[in-house]
Parts: sequence; structure tokens; C-alpha cells
Amino acid sequence: MRVRRHTRAGRAAATLAATGCAVLAACGSGESILQAGNDPRPTAAPITTSPGQTTVPGETVPSTAPPTTEPRPIDSLPSCDLAALDAAVASGPVEILFWHGMSNELGRELERIVEQFNGSQDRVRVRLEFQGGYEQTIDKYLQSNTGNRPDLVQMPEYTVQLMVDTESNVPVQACMEDAGDTADELLPAALSAYATESVQWAMPFNVSNPVLYYNELVFRNAGLDPDAPPRTLAELADAGRTIQASGAASYGIALDSAPDGGGGWFLEQWLAKEGEFYSDNANGRTAPSTRVLFDGPSGVELFRQLQDLVLTGGGVYVGENPSGTDAFLKLADSSAPASMTIATSAALQSVLLFVEGGIIPGIGVDDLGVAPMPSPSGEPGTLIGGASLWITAGRGDERAAAAYEFVRYLVSPEIQSQWAANTGYVPVNSGAIDVDPLKSLYEADPRFRVAYDQVATTPAVATSNGPVLGPLREVRVAAAGATARVLQGADPAEALADAAALANALIADYNARR
Amino acid sequence: MTTNRRRWRDLPLALAMLAPSLVVLVTFVLYPLGRAVWLGHQRCDPTGNRCSSNGWDQYVDVFRSREFQQAFGVTFRFALVTVPVGLALGVGLAVLADKQLRGIGFFRTVFSSTVATSVAVASLMWFFLLNPSVGVLADWIGGVAKNPGLLRDEDTALWAVAVSSVWANLGFTFIVVTAGLQSIPAELYESAYVDGASGWTRFTNVTVPMLGPTLLFVGVVLTSRAFQSYGEFDLLTGGGPNGSTTSLTYLVYGTNSVIKSNDGLQAAVAVLLFVVLLALSILQIRGVERRIHYGD
Repeated sequence: MRVRRHTRAGRAAATLAATGCAVLAACGSGESILQAGNDPRPTAAPITTSPGQTTVPGETVPSTAPPTTEPRPIDSLPSCDLAALDAAVASGPVEILFWHGMSNELGRELERIVEQFNGSQDRVRVRLEFQGGYEQTIDKYLQSNTGNRPDLVQMPEYTVQLMVDTESNVPVQACMEDAGDTADELLPAALSAYATESVQWAMPFNVSNPVLYYNELVFRNAGLDPDAPPRTLAELADAGRTIQASGAASYGIALDSAPDGGGGWFLEQWLAKEGEFYSDNANGRTAPSTRVLFDGPSGVELFRQLQDLVLTGGGVYVGENPSGTDAFLKLADSSAPASMTIATSAALQSVLLFVEGGIIPGIGVDDLGVAPMPSPSGEPGTLIGGASLWITAGRGDERAAAAYEFVRYLVSPEIQSQWAANTGYVPVNSGAIDVDPLKSLYEADPRFRVAYDQVATTPAVATSNGPVLGPLREVRVAAAGATARVLQGADPAEALADAAALANALIADYNARR
Repeated sequence: MTTNRRRWRDLPLALAMLAPSLVVLVTFVLYPLGRAVWLGHQRCDPTGNRCSSNGWDQYVDVFRSREFQQAFGVTFRFALVTVPVGLALGVGLAVLADKQLRGIGFFRTVFSSTVATSVAVASLMWFFLLNPSVGVLADWIGGVAKNPGLLRDEDTALWAVAVSSVWANLGFTFIVVTAGLQSIPAELYESAYVDGASGWTRFTNVTVPMLGPTLLFVGVVLTSRAFQSYGEFDLLTGGGPNGSTTSLTYLVYGTNSVIKSNDGLQAAVAVLLFVVLLALSILQIRGVERRIHYGD
């Protein structure tokens, strides 16, 4: 008994020591978790244009990794045989499964469209399955094998490289070529957002981008012209100072540091608007990126201007904004309101509903202004946000062909008009704005058109296609951390250098595992 | 000898009767656990399909890594606050409501009501209460609660999440402790009263010792819950600001986690969390058990 108690006490002491040691971080190595198990540890992110060779010793990289320095010819990718569908429908309609991540109203609108499609013809039956959101869709798709995957899947814009690396898709370009479809009507900026290494992988479906939301009432009270909202960050600071000085509102712009908002996504937007690359190899479009470039002079200057917005430009920092509502709620603050914020155009419908509900006393729906996203130089254009449609390979030619037939329907002017009008997304088909209901909506309320015009006026240059890093979501979190620090007063160069180091480690780790 | 043989004879029948729950246990607990342990020493391609060993020292390195240590610290501090505070408040409310008064049922219902609230609902409620722009609590508290907000300040975020968590778990503690209180014989209080013990003495010398097993149970459960809390962090702070609320579970599952698409490392952290929790539970039970009076 005594012996047992002794060992018990010994064990307890050992456990206590283990936990205590962890708490005190006495046994912490100070190393990043990304290096765990790697031996010897690389001291810096390898910089090379050939990630296939950037192996960390001790790690196995599949020998099947394709050479990534040269563009992959579309011919070596799964093909698309549309005739297979014609043959298959002889014995009844082909059923395909479509996974999506659209919740609430958006999901219901998608259901309506699928019903319309199923009712409009008897070749293809689409079965729609909601996966709970983008993140869940990604996880389920990655964890499934070909047999369990859907024939068509909706994936958010930050997963392009990840999806390419699954090597599980029929590039939509293969189907377009087989069908002889030209992409004339599709917005070039939306299309090229889903192309890398000369391959059009996916079809854009729901497009959104950041716009400036502002309180026109405050603008009028401060003596500013609500019809001439700020276009540059300098003008934004001027407007903020004027508003503060006039007492029309406590703050000018409300800035956040959300990874998918002001912290990560906007940084990509701003660099693109300045004609700068976010990462090497042309944002990963000519070959997978090996390192980020956002810590260069343009990035530092951008962050300096953002910091000035908060320090001297009448702006206010509202934090990580995890639910996407904090920046908007700052506009509704009863004691210290802000008067502007930058957020996704996809929020416009909900924000108008909110305002209509009377959340901001004295403000009506018509007092909410929407304008292009201000940037350092005020140049037009935007990067494509939202999601696209990917066709799964290896599930039968007739299914891939059926999926493409449905994709074609989804991006037709009529359906894009209906989809954009009922959701607030930007249509990917330029013909959609000449068709009702979108035509009348844009005429009745030009605020909805701002995001469309940003896409339509995007210059056709390489920097207009955003970064397609494998770990883009994680890199956004790193950039968001830097944004948060800078908006709270940290040195921009230092914060960006730290974020870039983490981002480069993430990219190196990803490329080593590819 | 006979007993032994009979035991063996009974084995098939025992197995057959245990089979249903055994199948469930193996399929949904043991097999995934084994898989996770195995996965924890591997590195996988970004799609999680092709995995290869990276050495079992990956576990050691993960444990010693900056991110794990920070998340461990966050989780530990979170538990260190939520468990004692939750326990004290739960016992306090239960003792208050353990009176035969008119209308006490109403208060018992109110105090236990959070048990019917999901983490998501509780978190959303606190999210709006603490929101610096429109939150009622933020207005009352003022100062840092207004700018940048309790959930947005690196120094206060963890404690703000802890408040929400304590509140959400209060109903559970209240119910279990109330049940414990009702099993304490009234004679003990009567004799203590006759001996001249004051209210406080009766509480410390009768109620608390008699509640021992209940408190141990609630303590272990609350600790385990605190270490496994995820929804609060996900909904209230998303692991921020600056990682100050990235708990171990958030490091495993969170969308803002640095190892979000790294299956091997996620498994390693999850297994280490399991080991830590196991050690803590053993420690709690072994350490406190001897001082507990289970009655007869």
C-alpha cells in the first residue's frame, strides 16, 4: 500500500512537473510549430522558383510532383467530352451532385435556380447539397476521395492553388474548348482570377469586392459633398479630419483587421490597385509562389498611410472583426460613431435591411452611400472575391459534361441577372446588366452597381490577378496580425517583415508537402 | 479454478452482450484515437491524402513549439479562472436556492436555465452585450470596454471569453450541486445548530465536506470542458487579438490557426491535449480523492 502510494505520488509529481514546465514555458523551444519534426531545421524560407526542389531534409515529397517551372499544358489535364452526355441521356437524365457553401437567403436563391434548371430541361438533374459554409466545403472536399466527391463544387477564391494541387478537376477550359464556347460575355477580370499557368481551372460564379460605405448625412453635416466621396487614402484622411473637426461624427473611417477583410484581403486589393505583386512568380500565376512581396516599399508605404488614417486622419480601429459586423456597428455607435468603413459589396443588401430597421437613429436607407474602394493612388479596379465552380474529374465523362451544362446555365445573362439582383453579388456575365431584374435594379439603385463597375474597369494587367498561394488563408491571418499591430501604432516595416517571415515559412512548408 | 473456467465459458456470451456498445466504442472512439495518434507523427500533403512519417519526435517538437506553448498557456489560464469561479458561483447560487421558500422554484429555474443554452447562443449573446459600439455592458463598464472593447483588447479578451463561458456553464454546476445539497441529511445541520455552529461554520464544516464528491465531479468536468472549449473562442474572438485567445482546441480547429491545413500537426496537438487532460484528471482525482468523504 505504501509502495503504491509512493508510485502514485511519483506519477502525480511527474505529471505536475510536465504541466508546470509547459505553463512556465521552461521547456519551450521557441521554434515555430511548422518546423516540428523537421530535422535539421531550415533557418530561412528557401527562395527558389522551383518549389519541387525546396524539400526539407527528412521529408518525402511525392515523386509525382509535376515540374512547376513551366506552364502545364491543358492537354495533360483531364479532358472534357461533351458528347458523352448526349449518349448518356438516351437512357434518361444524368444526375449530378453539387456542393455549395451559401447559407440563408443566398442558399435559398441557389435552390430556386437549381429548381428552375431542373424544370427547364430533362437531360441533367442537379442535386444540391449545402455543406454548412465555405470552410466546411473545403474540408469535406479535401477529405473525400473521388467516389465521395460531388460532380461540381463551389470553392471560395482563396483556394485556387489548393484546388489545383488536389489534381482532381476537369479544367473548365477543357469543356469550354470542347463546346466551342467563347468567353466574350464573361468579365475578363472575373475569369482570369481562376486561371493559373495558362489554364482556366474554374468558372467564377458569385463575385464580390470591397467597397466604401459611408454615411451621407454626416458628410452633409460636415460640409462634405456626399456625391464626391474620397478616392485616395489621403482624401480619406482629409475627410476624416473635416468630419471630426465639424463634430458631425466622432470618427472618419472605421478600419478592421479581419483576415478576410481589412487585415488580409484588403492588403491584396491595395497592392493590386497599385500595380504591385503580392507574391513572387506573378502572384503564383506563372508558377507556384515561393515567397511574399508585401513587405516591400509599397507595402510599407501603404501601411504607413493606413496608420496615419487612425493616428491623424480621424479614423478608428475596431479590432479583428471576426463576424464582419464590428466595423458596421461602429457606424451605429450611439456615443462615438464612425462615418465610413470599407467592407465587401456582398454585405450591401443586409446593411440596407439593417438601416431600414432603424438601427442608426435618424438615418434612412437613402443616407447610406456606396463608393469604389479608396486606395493610395485612387486607381480604379479590384481583385475578385467570392467563389467559383469546379468540375470534378474521374466520375465519368457524362457527369463532367452534365456539370458543365449546368455551369453554362448558371453564368448565362438571365440567371446571372436574377442571381445578382437577388443576392447583391456582381454578375460574371456582362450581358446580365442589360437583362431584368438586374437592369432595373442598377437603374433604380446605382449603389448596387459600384462593385460591378469596379470589376468592369479593372485593367487587364498581370497584377490584377490576385495571389494564389496554397496557404493563402493562413498568410492572410499573418498579414492581419501585422495590420492589427500597425493600426495600434507599431512600426509598419517591422510588422510587415514579421508577417512576411511567417508567410514565407507557411509557403515553404506548403510547397514542401505538395 | 471452477470460477476461472466458468469465467471463460461466459466470455462469448459476455462479448455478445457487450458487442453493440463495443462496436460503437471501437468505431467512434478507439479507432479515431488510434488514427489520430498515428497521424500525429506524420506530415501530409495539403489535401491530407498522402502522408508520410516525420518521426515521432514531431510530438516533442510540437509540444515545445512557440505556438503550442502559447496556446497551452492561454488554455491553462482560462481553466484556472473559469473552474474556481464557476464552481464558487454555482455552489453559492445552489446554497441560496436550497431553501424551502415560496416561489423558490422560479429562482431554481432561472439559475439552471443556462444549461439549456448552447455555446453558440450564449456566445452570440455575450458578443452583443460586450460589443463596444452597441453593447449594453460595454456602455456600463466604459473605458477599455468602449475602446477597443473587452473582446478586442489583448489584455482583456481571454477574461471576457471566460465570463461568457462561466455564465454558460453555471446552469450545469447549479443543478449538480443542488442535487448534492439535497442528499445531505438534515440531522447534520440540526446537530451542528444544537452545538452552536454559526451559518458560516455549518457551511464550511458540514456542507462543503458533504459536497466533496460532487465538487470533485463538477471540478473535473469543468476542467475538462475548459480545456476543450472551442465555440466561445471561435465566435467571440476568432483566436485574437494577437493570439491571446488561441486555445489548444482553436489551434487544432480554428480557421485562423497557423496549422489550419496541416493534418499531421493538428493531430499532434489534439493528441497532446488529450494527454494533458488525462494527466490533469488523474491528478485531480488522485490528489483530492483522499481528502473526500464519500459517506456510507
